[in-house]
Amino acid sequence: MTIAYVTIAGLLLTLVLLRQRHPVPGHLDVALQGWRQLQPLITRIPLALIAGSFLAALIPEAVVAAVLGDASGLQGILLATAVGAIMPGGPMITFPLALVLLSAGVGLAQMVTLITAWSVLALHRVLVFEIPTLGWRPTVLRLLACLMLPPLAGLLTMALALRA
Amino acid sequence: MADNTGTRRAQLRTWVDGTTMLFLALSLVGGTAVWMLRGTGEFVASLSTAIGMIVAIAPIVVGAVLIGAYVQALVPRSAMERWLGRSSGMRGLLIATVAGALTPGGPFAAFPIVLGLYRAGAAFPVCVTYLTAWSLIGVNRALVWELPLLGYDFTLVRILISLPLPILAGLLTRLISPWLAVERP
Repeated sequence: MTIAYVTIAGLLLTLVLLRQRHPVPGHLDVALQGWRQLQPLITRIPLALIAGSFLAALIPEAVVAAVLGDASGLQGILLATAVGAIMPGGPMITFPLALVLLSAGVGLAQMVTLITAWSVLALHRVLVFEIPTLGWRPTVLRLLACLMLPPLAGLLTMALALRA
Repeated sequence: MADNTGTRRAQLRTWVDGTTMLFLALSLVGGTAVWMLRGTGEFVASLSTAIGMIVAIAPIVVGAVLIGAYVQALVPRSAMERWLGRSSGMRGLLIATVAGALTPGGPFAAFPIVLGLYRAGAAFPVCVTYLTAWSLIGVNRALVWELPLLGYDFTLVRILISLPLPILAGLLTRLISPWLAVERP
């Protein structure tokens, strides 16, 4: 957790210094913009974490570990691709759920696959945003090009874990 | 006076929206289930784990939101569209990766940018690379959600592995596009 604090503080300091070279907009305006974006999170994040913590206590860990654990290998990676693709909702739903699944024994490669599939395939987002704005042909073309990214990310993680 | 209640109602909606209600319901149902099935001890343990985590991640979330606001202020949308509109080839894919990673906000922010770029004549592989980078290595999302919840090691490994993927997606799009002609909207 300390590294996370240091990273955030370092990035923030760099950006504050960078802004110092262009006096517009003022730091106060930026902070106000930040406050506007923070407001909806003040209620969401605590409730999401509490819900996640209770779900973690209820989830049958043996089942999760068997189908998506480190030992589930390529099969687990393919299953994680499917689960990630159909997982609905934004990051406020996905990341607390991911935390629950990690503590229930989902493997590292399978988790990377799941997050990647949720990011690039995201069928709910395809239906709600992508087809209406880009049209179905470009959407299909993008999905075809991105279909292999989640398993690839999982396999790369596996290779990395084997070397480490 | 009526105006004042309207503002207050809008304020309330930012704090208590559908997602919040969903999590409230999940917390209540989950908490009751844990208490009944696993007993009071487990209930208290789960709740205190959650509270400890909330306290630990609060500074990160505040810092991350400020970082997002600074990035938005320093890299306005018009500048991003200018970089991407002119770019093509490998250089275009690299620029699209950086621009996508820096675009904060949800799909309601990213898709209008892509549509604008596409209409302005940007190559479709560049658009795919941009969307892939935004969804996969978006700095803002990683800082607000992934780093505090899944931890430093996980976030770093996932992002390192994802770095080449937006460019790969762009190249694959170029490879497939002869078989699936795309008309400009």
